[in-house]
This record gives sequence, C-alpha cells and structure tokens, in this order.
Amino acid sequence: MSEAGGRILLIDDEEVVLDSCRAILEGSEYEVLAATGGAEGLEELRRGAPDLVFVDLKMPGMSGMEVLDAIRAIDPTIVCVVFTGFASIALAVEAMQRGARDFLPKPFTPDDFRAMIRRGLEWRRLVVEAAALRQEREALRENFAAIVSHELRSPLGAIQQNLFVLLKELSGVVSEDQQRRLERMSSRLSDLLALVNRWLRGFSVDFSNLRESFGEVAIAGPVAEAVESARAEATRKAVEIEVEADSEAVVWGDAGTLTEALLNVIGNAVKYSREGGRVQVSAVRRDEKVVVSVTDTGVGIPEADLPHLFDAFYRGQAASSGVGGAGIGLAVTRRIVEAHGGTITATSDPGRGSTFVIALPALGTPAASEGTPSGQVSKGEAG
Amino acid sequence: MSERKKVLIVDDDPDFVEGIKAILDTTYDTEVAYNPKEGWDALKSGRFDLLCLDIMMGRGAEGVMMARKIRKDAVLREMPVLIITSLREQIAFLFPGQAVHPGFVPVDELVEKPVDPDMLLQKAAAMIAAAEARRAAK
Repeated sequence: MSEAGGRILLIDDEEVVLDSCRAILEGSEYEVLAATGGAEGLEELRRGAPDLVFVDLKMPGMSGMEVLDAIRAIDPTIVCVVFTGFASIALAVEAMQRGARDFLPKPFTPDDFRAMIRRGLEWRRLVVEAAALRQEREALRENFAAIVSHELRSPLGAIQQNLFVLLKELSGVVSEDQQRRLERMSSRLSDLLALVNRWLRGFSVDFSNLRESFGEVAIAGPVAEAVESARAEATRKAVEIEVEADSEAVVWGDAGTLTEALLNVIGNAVKYSREGGRVQVSAVRRDEKVVVSVTDTGVGIPEADLPHLFDAFYRGQAASSGVGGAGIGLAVTRRIVEAHGGTITATSDPGRGSTFVIALPALGTPAASEGTPSGQVSKGEAG
Repeated sequence: MSERKKVLIVDDDPDFVEGIKAILDTTYDTEVAYNPKEGWDALKSGRFDLLCLDIMMGRGAEGVMMARKIRKDAVLREMPVLIITSLREQIAFLFPGQAVHPGFVPVDELVEKPVDPDMLLQKAAAMIAAAEARRAAK
C-alpha cells in the first residue's frame, strides 16, 4: 500500500454510480479502479490488489454478498464497504457479518464518500500493520525458543563441567552412596543438555548448506546404521526390526543427516510399538525415486494428528500417553528430507500401526542431478 | 624432570573456566583470561604450549576474531589451539557455507562443552606432543 493515497476498486453495475465516484475522486491522491459486475470486479481485484473495495449489493449475476465472500477468500486484509439502497439496513448488516467493514447508503454526498474512503483506508492500514505484527510475533516465538535454549545451555554446561571434575576429585573421598548421587546428577544433566541441544537443532540449524557436503550415498548404508542405533531399544522391548534394502538404490545426499532422519523415523516406530511388535524397513528404487518405508504394528496415529506430525513441538496424543520426547524429531526429519529434494508422508491405522514413507530423488534422474529440490513437499496425509 | 607445560584458557564464563582449569591444573600450569583482549595480552607476554579458546564470547563470536588474529601472527600460529564450543552446529550456523570444522588456525581441534575430563587431558597432551614433534622436525 502506497504511503499516502491508496488503491480503490469500485464494483457497481450502474455506470452512473461509477462515473460519479470517479468524478468525486478526480485529482485526488487515490488510484481508482472500476468494474461493472462481480466477476469482472474480482478479476480487477486480483490484477490491481486494491486496499479498499466498494461493492454494490444488488447486482445482476454474481451478488454483492458472493463478491464479499470471494474477496475474503482471496485476501482478508482488503477492506470492503458496501453500497446499499434505502431501506436495506438488514442487507447491510448481513454484509457486515460477511466481512464488510462498513456500508454507505445511496444516494451519498461526495463528502460522505470521501469520509468513508478515509476511514476505510485507515482501517486497511491497521489491518496490514496487525498482520505484520502477527508475523513478527511468530518469528519472535521461534527465535525466542532458540535464544532460551541457548541461554539455558551455558549454565547447564558449566554445572556439568564442574560435576565432571567433582566426580573425579571426590572419587574415593565420598561414600559410595554419595558418589552414586553425584553420578545421577551428572546423568540427569546430560539428558537435559541433550534435550536443549535437540531443541536448538530443531530451530536454528540451517540445513540449506547441506548440499555442499552431498555425495553419492547408497541408501542401504544409512538404513543399516539407523537400524543399528535403534536396535538397543528394540531389543529391550522385544520388537523385531526387519530390513530389506536394495543395494542399487543410490541417492545424492549427505549420509550423516540421512542416517539421522531415518533414525528419527525408525526410532519412533520402535518407541510407539508394543512389546513383541514388528517394524519393517524397506528401501527400494521405484522409478525415479528411492523410497524408504518404515511400517510398525504399534499404537498408530489419530487422524487428527497426522497433518501436524511434522510440525516442531507437536506431540499430539503422544503427549498424554507417557511416551517421552520433545516433538522435534519428525520436524528435523522433514527438514533433512526436504533439503535432499525429497518428501515424507505418513499414513496410519489407529490401533494397528503406522507407515512413514520417505521418497528421495534417485541418483541419475534429472531431479537429483539438477541440484534443486524437486516435487511437491507433502505433509502427512491420511490415506 | 621436565618443566610443566603452560596452558592458557580464554573463556568468559568463570564457572566453566573453573571446571576446565581444575582438570588441567593436575598436569599443567594453567592461566586464565576472561575475555579476548586479556587473552591476547597474555599470549603476547608469555609463551604457552596450548590455548583453550571459547569461541562464543561477548557479543557473538569474539573468540573467532581472536583465532583469526592468532592465525595471522607468525609466532602464535605455531601454538596448538583447542576450541571449546557449546554446540558444534552453532559454528556452521554462524558461518554459513563453511565446513563445520572451522580450521581457524593451522593447528586446531574442536571439543564440545561440557568436556569429559579424560578426553580433555588426552587431547591436550596429544596436541602439545604433536606441536613439539613439528618443532623438532624443523
């Protein structure tokens, strides 16, 4: 929106109204667009991106109400005012319920019109400002978590460092019980530090530089490593992990972060499995993709949680189920997969298990060699 | 008996410094500076066999500036530098496009806070020995 002035769109089927409005605004600082019908008006709106729209309620074809609905769907920050005839206060009220900011009864005087424009544009400024503030607050919320994690880490690190030393210095000096308690303190602190580090990683680590370290990676390698890391927990819960990895499936990527991404998914599969469950991991080349799927026979994911699964801090029902976690793993996984030009999706049958599918461009296909992420990034969708 | 080696610690967190110093004191003569300026003065006035440098000091990464200065100094650049940092990734985050290992000086290594005492002593000993071997070879 320009400093002074503003762009105004008039939608009215009566040419005479449009003409008078134009005449009133002649020589003003406003830019005026006009349309004689709803459909044409919306077209003009998309093209001209006005700040303020006047809509006549009674028009042949698309009604003023429908136009209001459409504008709100296109850009809810555009301010709408409706022209109404006499005795249509009820309509004006309905229009305001549907998003119009105000109404101007016909006939109106030039001063009425100008005053309405000033009010409308002032409102538009406020709406735009509010949207900017909301955006800023959102950015702050993210940075806030990063800053807090960072500020938490320094003192925790200092405490841990001193505990390390005390443990060494006091070994043999304090009783066994005291030694054990010091060790517990140190171990709890390690958990806390690991948690803070995970948070920080979820927020502030920039994976966009990852491509610089890309090379040929046979996906079977990261798969095997991730499975190996998940093995201890799986053994503890008597969960069987079956692996099937095609040695021909090669991607262009970074083995370390791919392992991390796979471990997050495989680790989750184990974590949400019941005792004696089974986790199947398969990595195959399918057309121009390398597809890694991880299927478990665990508790599954409620449909309502699926769309948010890859959002940072989202824990869904897991939050109340007693399973630990920070809600960071899958968000980081998605960022890693996307940095590789791939997609990750999840499907689930609540009570029976879930399947996570990571699809990466296979090496040698145009998408992988171009060096740009390809394909649509899809969030988890119920399927 | 050979003289004890000298180690300088530069870190702005006194509590952390104490934790590191207590470990190194068992083997080395340890001096401490709590900011890069003090650290630089100490380096200029005495000879050290190893520098333990925190890179996240003051506003941002003042330790990095110090490491770069050391790198440009004909004498100091022979001294091994152990960079002690909070989070490895933070370096990549601060200096996008650079390798995670900073390589600020020809001879440096990087450990994450908090540091395991035995690992710290091993690293310090290995780095000092390697520097001596390099000097002897010249």
